[in-house]
Amino acid sequence: MTGPSEPSHKIPSDALGLGLVRDILRRTTDEEEARKALDPDVLGSAVRLPGGFAMPVQIERVLGFGRSFSFWPLLFGLACCAIEMMALGGSRFDMSRFGMEAMRASPRQADGMIVAGWCSINMAPRVVRLYEQIPDPKWVLAMGSCAISGNIWDTYNIVQGIDSLLPVDVYVPGCPPRPEALWQGLEMLRGRIKQSKHAYDGLRRIPAREALGEGGVTS
Amino acid sequence: MNAAIQLEERFGARLLESVEFRSELTYVVASSDWVEVLRFCKEAPGLAFDQLDCLLGDHLPERTAAPFEVVAHLVSHVYGHRLRVKTSLTEGQSLPTVTGLWPSAGFDEREAWEMFGIVFDGHPDLRRLLTVEDFEGYPLRKDFPLQGTVGGRIRTDLRGKI
Amino acid sequence: MSAERPTLEELKERKVLSRQRVERSGEVMTVSMGPQHPSMHGVYRAVLDLDGEVIVAVRPEIGNLHRGVEKLCEERTYHQIIPITDRLDYLSSFVMNHGYCEAVEKLMGVEVPARGRYIRTIASELCRIANHIMWLGIHIMDLGTQTFFCICFRDREYVLDLLEMLTGARLTHSFGRIGGVAKDLPDGFDHRCRKVIDFLPQRIAEYERIIKHNRIYYKRAKGVGIFTSEDCYAWRVTGPPLRSAGVARDLRKDEPYSAYDEVDFEVAVEYQGDVYDRFLVRMKEIRESCKIIRQCLDNLPDGPFLARDVTHSLPLKKNVLRDSAAMIQDFYQVFQGPLAPKGEVYRAIEAPKGEMGVYIRSEGGAKPARIRFTTPSFYHGQALPPLVEGEMVSDMVAIFASIDVVLGDCDR
Repeated sequence: MTGPSEPSHKIPSDALGLGLVRDILRRTTDEEEARKALDPDVLGSAVRLPGGFAMPVQIERVLGFGRSFSFWPLLFGLACCAIEMMALGGSRFDMSRFGMEAMRASPRQADGMIVAGWCSINMAPRVVRLYEQIPDPKWVLAMGSCAISGNIWDTYNIVQGIDSLLPVDVYVPGCPPRPEALWQGLEMLRGRIKQSKHAYDGLRRIPAREALGEGGVTS
Repeated sequence: MNAAIQLEERFGARLLESVEFRSELTYVVASSDWVEVLRFCKEAPGLAFDQLDCLLGDHLPERTAAPFEVVAHLVSHVYGHRLRVKTSLTEGQSLPTVTGLWPSAGFDEREAWEMFGIVFDGHPDLRRLLTVEDFEGYPLRKDFPLQGTVGGRIRTDLRGKI
Repeated sequence: MSAERPTLEELKERKVLSRQRVERSGEVMTVSMGPQHPSMHGVYRAVLDLDGEVIVAVRPEIGNLHRGVEKLCEERTYHQIIPITDRLDYLSSFVMNHGYCEAVEKLMGVEVPARGRYIRTIASELCRIANHIMWLGIHIMDLGTQTFFCICFRDREYVLDLLEMLTGARLTHSFGRIGGVAKDLPDGFDHRCRKVIDFLPQRIAEYERIIKHNRIYYKRAKGVGIFTSEDCYAWRVTGPPLRSAGVARDLRKDEPYSAYDEVDFEVAVEYQGDVYDRFLVRMKEIRESCKIIRQCLDNLPDGPFLARDVTHSLPLKKNVLRDSAAMIQDFYQVFQGPLAPKGEVYRAIEAPKGEMGVYIRSEGGAKPARIRFTTPSFYHGQALPPLVEGEMVSDMVAIFASIDVVLGDCDR
């Protein structure tokens, strides 16, 4: 690779060079270094797109902008918060005007998850499995006090907050949060989607799963 | 009350205790008489307790002789009266099932087994209902901590590190 | 259609015939429906053994939402349990508060003043209307449409606005108190409530017009999921499914509580025991609830809405910082709570989903020694095997929706 400095990390091969760009942007703190790393000569042909377009980072922005207007969450309501989530989908607090009314039943077709309600230890492996089945890029919104911290259910069967199982992007407190409050949380989430920021950046493993062992979290 | 008269006539001294509190009638019977008394309650024409409203377990650790209890609430659609029948059990003692009389006792007895460890003989499917299959311990016993034992909780020390 | 009243034998025969209409091949496939499924009401898992389209066996698995509410309540005073009961059947939270407060008042011997009883009745009936409208939206959405769901939620918002005006919250009200309710009816509530209950029956008529004679709904609901009264008694199925099988059992009439013996309403009964009749029963119940609320508003008595019982009830909030007696009462109630006599009670009320009962055993302290919430969904979830075995899998969704199971209620 030609260039003033060789990047210290291994650059994975990537079809369009987008993931590569994202990784680089996240791992370099120095602006100068980042700009140099984006130099097409440094990156090689992975960044050359048809038509000679050599600024792939802008595509990420455009994609993020587009994704934020069409975030399709997984139809996953556990408890009372799900009712307020449904009310958000109803006619008064219409979330269809923001492109979210298509709540997908299959995690393969979803963009993210709104975990609405308390997660019991029976449900924990299933929640994790559903999360893992959602393809990248994905976001998680923890709705309600139960998903954030277990709320008043400090008992033998309830996970005290789903962030010990999944990376969470936005927390919406309330019991249950009003549809308007959930909407505010979704606006924050859309801000993150626009910037293509994820809670799992840099970390692709879920330590809770590893800590419990392979057989720890089974269904 | 008619139910009281009929039951006392039929069982006499086998009704170990009878309590009337807030206009509710409760009878305590021995565990060996459990099914017979309940069957009589269901089938006797003057009683006709056709619905088992609920069957639950209870743990009274201060009563060292017989710390466990099974309570059945009966209601009659024909006459509209209610009754409570209880029995006391020692640790490890089992009780015959009443799913033959009222199938709705199926889930109730499973829950009593899961929460207290009371075995019901003859139950078609006695296994854990509300907690995970490999849950250890009997949660509603008074010596079981509310937060559960170590094995039952998810690692909260990993919060924020993911 | 509803004028016809089959006898129990005829209904049993119809049930058997409706379950035998499809030929079976003998090869069984196991399918797990749930816990995450677009139609499962909450996280209910039903493991089905299917022979083609026919369900040969169902093994329900509940407990995915189990919190250990009963154990949690053993560490709480009687006042502190009220917000916990809210989250049992969260579609009709006040009704859960109501049932719990009725049981505690029975145990402690507290009398609720007349105005408190009427306000409880109004709030309970509003919750019943909200629950049934929501049920209808979910039921029809399970059968495939999205539009009706939005229509029902539009109307449910009017009722939730009223509940918010009255209790302060849309969903988890925590409005019941031992000895009455938390607040009086606010200004303007009477006028607004009357407006809503005047226009709701027209809406229900509109729903019935859309659904009742809709050919698709008729085919999917008529004669499907027949459950006779005998089955209901055996499986402890109560509420609208029991009333749709011809049994006029409604605890508001049979064991009246609050102001139900002072108002005039009919019990909604149908006779065919199928999904269609459960729909009709619930629509009629909404109309009767509007009637009850109107009568309560017309005859609302004056007086306190919370019992002035120093040892068992909380004082009025406005007096706490002004009056030393009220402050002492507040301290006592909040830090220790009311002491119950030694004994046990069981009190059941008519929740929108069925009969909800509360069993409390007290050893004389401030906390219950054992509390058990006998919730209708627990038994309705158990009754799924006898209801759907023999039916086709596409009917299972309709049947399961018609018996109205909410997992918070079921798993506690």
